[in-house]
Amino acid sequence: MKETILSIKNLKTYFFTRRGIVRAVDGINFDIKKGECLCLVGESGCGKTVTALSILGLVDRPPGRIVGGEINYDSINLVSCPPARMRQIRGREIAMIFQDAQSALNPVFTIGDQIVEQIRLHSETSRRQAREMAIDLLKEVGIPAPQEAANYYPHQLSGGMRQRAMIAMSLSCDPRVLIADEPTTAVDVTIKAQILDIFQRLKESRQISLLFITHEMGLVSEIGDRVAVMYAGKIVEIARVSELLTNPIFQHPYTSSLIKCLPDITQERERLESIPGTVPSLIDLPSGCFFHPRCAKAMAICREKEPPPVSVTKGHTVFCHLYSAQGMKK
Amino acid sequence: MTKRFGMRNLALIVLALMLGSTVLLDIFVIETVVEPLVYLYIALGGIFIIYVIPPLYASRRLVSYYWQRVKRNRLAVAGLGFILFLILLAIVGPFFTADPTAVSFEEKNIPPVGFTLKESIYELETGQFITRTATGYWQHPLGTDNKGRDLLAMIISGAGVSLQVGLLATGIALALGTLIGVVSAYLGGKTDNILMRFTDIMMTFPFFLLLVLIVFIFGANLAIIVLVIGLTGWTGTARLIRSETLSLRTRDFIMAARALGASDGRIVLTHLVPNVISLIIVIATLSIPGVIVAEAALSFIGLGDPAVTSWGMVLRAGQQTLDTAWWVAVAPGMMLFLTVLAFNFVGDGLRDAFDPRSSL
Repeated sequence: MKETILSIKNLKTYFFTRRGIVRAVDGINFDIKKGECLCLVGESGCGKTVTALSILGLVDRPPGRIVGGEINYDSINLVSCPPARMRQIRGREIAMIFQDAQSALNPVFTIGDQIVEQIRLHSETSRRQAREMAIDLLKEVGIPAPQEAANYYPHQLSGGMRQRAMIAMSLSCDPRVLIADEPTTAVDVTIKAQILDIFQRLKESRQISLLFITHEMGLVSEIGDRVAVMYAGKIVEIARVSELLTNPIFQHPYTSSLIKCLPDITQERERLESIPGTVPSLIDLPSGCFFHPRCAKAMAICREKEPPPVSVTKGHTVFCHLYSAQGMKK
Repeated sequence: MTKRFGMRNLALIVLALMLGSTVLLDIFVIETVVEPLVYLYIALGGIFIIYVIPPLYASRRLVSYYWQRVKRNRLAVAGLGFILFLILLAIVGPFFTADPTAVSFEEKNIPPVGFTLKESIYELETGQFITRTATGYWQHPLGTDNKGRDLLAMIISGAGVSLQVGLLATGIALALGTLIGVVSAYLGGKTDNILMRFTDIMMTFPFFLLLVLIVFIFGANLAIIVLVIGLTGWTGTARLIRSETLSLRTRDFIMAARALGASDGRIVLTHLVPNVISLIIVIATLSIPGVIVAEAALSFIGLGDPAVTSWGMVLRAGQQTLDTAWWVAVAPGMMLFLTVLAFNFVGDGLRDAFDPRSSL
């Protein structure tokens, strides 16, 4: 058993708006082990990004606030961590990659300069040394001719190159945890495959722990070791990827519908499947299980009681009445 | 050592220490080391050399790109030419012209070269009005005023004063306005509210009255005039910079910088300010003429620094003899007009050049 590096216990991040309290993240639990990739999957607006920002303490307050729970990193609780220490942790220990590298890079500096600044921000390095490190990093993420690429401004690079530069920048201080927030959404399929390769390599060569946020089940099977499925601010299922994809008997109905939505190249199909209904408003959530209005297998109890965690096999937990004791009885 | 500060900031600190020690020397050792304005010169010039020249040199390619765009605007180039000419005139001119304050009543009201003027003079000896013809000659190319002061010398001296006031006061106003605008927008919430309400109060305050009051209390000194214009003129800049920063701060790269561990101060200085620099340059060129006119107005009503000859002062002298010696008012008036126009053309040209949407 590998050591746990980041563990999140009952995390609650709410946004206090004029229209009411938005429970963007509502009591989630998971942990990430060393050199492991945990995928966080779910539809838009289910709280994936807010989870990531909560870990780094970057939720805008007001209106947002972490109202409860713990984020334990290395025996430090990041929720109550003083801002100065938090700044040291960001980038150096836990780094984050954003969805759109175009807007996540500062347009007025060359990427080389940005990486150099990042390195010098966290360590005592001379400018020249940092420059060499930056070029090595660019090489590591597979940028051809890194010497020249370092002198380019973000707008001079293609989308895939920018995303690589962004990854290089987040790697600059050798973080132990890397949070990737949909890093492949803004790039095309071939680049997507290459970027996934980079992550795979990083996991092996640097023993980096990845929190990979995505809405694509396909990517999960490519890169994930374990997967947590989120719905309306809660985790509905958490399991090893191999278990989840090969053993559909104990799947949460939401997970199965997500998988069904994937286009299958071996079958002829007129239209893509979709889950009926929309994600509920986080201010006005349904009673009981949040998914019951859209669930094909909904039962009477689903409307009344919140489903308890059910451990179906080792390391596979489902929050669904289908598998709970109360649900079974019926 | 260089980790936190870097060479540039180190140079800035050394400069600040040097200036600080000279001020102390000035105050405690009785002898005046340098004139008050020289402090402003050294401070702003130092900041300019440290923070403007190296980045411009580092991005020569971009500079030449923007120069190409500015060049397509003829008026802007002409304006730039006029400003450069004015700067040259202000620096070199005083070495070749007479003392602008030298009074000579034998040579009063001489018209510019190429003009002749008939004037009737009451002759004391005969007790009659006689008509005299005055013709301009090359010793006073622009003629003289009613005290026989050389107009060209006064104009050249005035160019120096106007440029000094314009550049220094704008420098102070921009530095303040940028800082307040960026900080206000970035921190948001209460800080934003307080800073912006303070800006509103400053805006509603009639700054010209304040200027008159301060000049009345502390005496008319060019350094004080520059300081007051600078310390009151930042409000518009602050608002513009704030609105620009408001849209910048929601951009992902600010969040990315925070996610990678940058502090607030660092984000303001290395991520926000460089991104509004084009706006700052445009505001600078467009606010210099306002400052120049403000100083001229102050001199015109007689509250300027009496030790220096400025355009406003010449204008004031000329306005009293408008019926006999029209050129005394026309010369500084034209110079003011052309200078303001030149700066406005350059500002417009720069704004178009920096605007990525304009198809230049």
